[in-house]
Amino acid sequence: MNTININLDACDGCMTCVKACFANVLRWEKPAMSPVVAYAEDCVHCNVCELSCPRGCIEVIPDFAYMRWSAL
Amino acid sequence: MNAMAELASLGESISTDICIMGGGIAGLTAAITLKEKSPHLDVLIVEKATTGWAGKADRGGGILAFLTPDDIPDDFIRFHVHNIGCFLEDQELLSEYAHTCNSVLDYLDAWGAKLAKERDGSWKYIKTPGVDVPWGMASVELDMCRCLRKHARKLECRFLDRTTMVDLLKEDDRVVGTIGFSIEDGGCCVVRSKATILANGSQNYRVLPMWSPGRGDGIAAAYRAGAQMRNAEFGSFVNMVHAASREVIFGAEDHMYNASGEDISARYRPGVQPDICAMSAIGWYKEYLNSNGPVRIKSDENVLQAGAEVLFASDLVWDRPAAIAFWSRLWEKGKSVEVEGAANMPEVIPGFVGEQSPVKVDHGMATTLPGLYAVGDVSYSGSAWTGAVPSPPGRIRGTGLMNAVWSARRGAMAAAAYAAGLVEIPGVDHAQAAELKERIFAPLRGDRGVSALDLVRAIQDAITPVRYSNWKSEERMREALGKVLEVKGRLADLTAADPHDLSRCNEAVSMALCAEMFYRASLERKESRGWFVREDYPETDNANWLKWIVLEDKDGEMSVSTEDIPMARYPIKV
Repeated sequence: MNTININLDACDGCMTCVKACFANVLRWEKPAMSPVVAYAEDCVHCNVCELSCPRGCIEVIPDFAYMRWSAL
Repeated sequence: MNAMAELASLGESISTDICIMGGGIAGLTAAITLKEKSPHLDVLIVEKATTGWAGKADRGGGILAFLTPDDIPDDFIRFHVHNIGCFLEDQELLSEYAHTCNSVLDYLDAWGAKLAKERDGSWKYIKTPGVDVPWGMASVELDMCRCLRKHARKLECRFLDRTTMVDLLKEDDRVVGTIGFSIEDGGCCVVRSKATILANGSQNYRVLPMWSPGRGDGIAAAYRAGAQMRNAEFGSFVNMVHAASREVIFGAEDHMYNASGEDISARYRPGVQPDICAMSAIGWYKEYLNSNGPVRIKSDENVLQAGAEVLFASDLVWDRPAAIAFWSRLWEKGKSVEVEGAANMPEVIPGFVGEQSPVKVDHGMATTLPGLYAVGDVSYSGSAWTGAVPSPPGRIRGTGLMNAVWSARRGAMAAAAYAAGLVEIPGVDHAQAAELKERIFAPLRGDRGVSALDLVRAIQDAITPVRYSNWKSEERMREALGKVLEVKGRLADLTAADPHDLSRCNEAVSMALCAEMFYRASLERKESRGWFVREDYPETDNANWLKWIVLEDKDGEMSVSTEDIPMARYPIKV
């Protein structure tokens, strides 16, 4: 499955990445006040979290082999 | 305990004049339209993800197919009937679309979306290269939904995010609310409303990434509530994609070669094709059957992909920073696995999209249930102005956004008029809500059973193969339907670990239902027309099949009937 790396040292907790994910892969962890990758198996590597992070804290590494379906 | 307290005992209880399910472009358009028309109305958007970031609109091409100053509505209608929808259109609604769709650009512009303009203020557009079609393509920046959210907030629309609404609540035949849950804490949520608008998209079986959020929640909710479906058999859209990265290759269907080096595009796509057609995937499948695979494309010939890269990932035509960043990043990552030596002749495979959108609506986007409206991709085919095609990309790229805004405005107007006739927000029957809550939350009860993702995979196996859903035959469709029904039999065993997983369970239920609709409707249509192709009935049969296929729930069974298309009153005859 895709890998989503979040550099929490650089994250300022703006929550944009959590809002940006249309698949609810990221969740907001209240005690830590930071985003967490909760459901990586649902990530479709649209990269919108990565592109919207104002501090460039997120990297999405697609696993293209994870996306599979039978056309035959 | 009074009725309100009883309802509150189920979870959070909310009242609103109009509840909109879905916070993408159609839902936001409906909300804005309602508040502009009737500022006193309380309007609530309920969205599974986050309103303004949800849906497909901001993850596509940002293309608006509109009628340029050189295009004539009657030409568009004629072209559409003959080449796109193949006489299965509601020609009266198609005509209204053709004459009024351009207003979509004005509205989006007024609401803060960024449309490309010429120096004189007119819309900047291009024509489809290589084919002479009576429309052009304007563009909008890929932050349009965030712009619309901002505007909706200014108008005091309310948003309830990270909440998924699963079922509709009824009083006799009319819809009076909806029930669902928070995907954060799993709390049950009941919304009472005068009218409900479904704006939560098509069914795409979570296969191709960018179409993935369309999981048919609204379609399934409407069906279970008793709403009719129409054109459910047009739900097997495919794009040809790169075999390694699974990225769509624009124009691939016109440059396909089999393992013997033969040009197979000409064989399967004769004449002028305005856009993608089902025969590309079917041709790919036939070559494999004849041991002539893999199928590759000659990239050097494919000017459409080169053009798309200029359009989407550069500022040479449209200066759209968000779109450029989105497409550049996507393609850059895709290229990392697209083997360099094969770059000029990459292997392609059919990438199943689906785009099933069958909620039947009238010209005001009212469903067959009083109080329930359906706009955007949830009712694209169900509205029937579009004819024998799945939702866009379909056969006219760029009508997806146009239809979303155009239909949402109509639906909002009709819903506002309906709500105006009700003095009070209707009550909700506690017993009915409690029963639905029991069903919705059932997967959370046990720790043993089947996972939603396992069943989703099983449904995908019954819907994505070309031999089942595109190159159709009675025998193969019965086999596929059997697989779907087998999944249906296992839905009661779904188990969920948390609210997010519970949402997946609901999606699996919706997918199984939509797949069943697809095959039952497809088995009924005994001909080939537009996107719909049958091996055993290869000809278009105008004598018997100028009909819409209608599905509805009757005592727990999916009933299939037909409705004659009123050709006598339509201007364009067969």
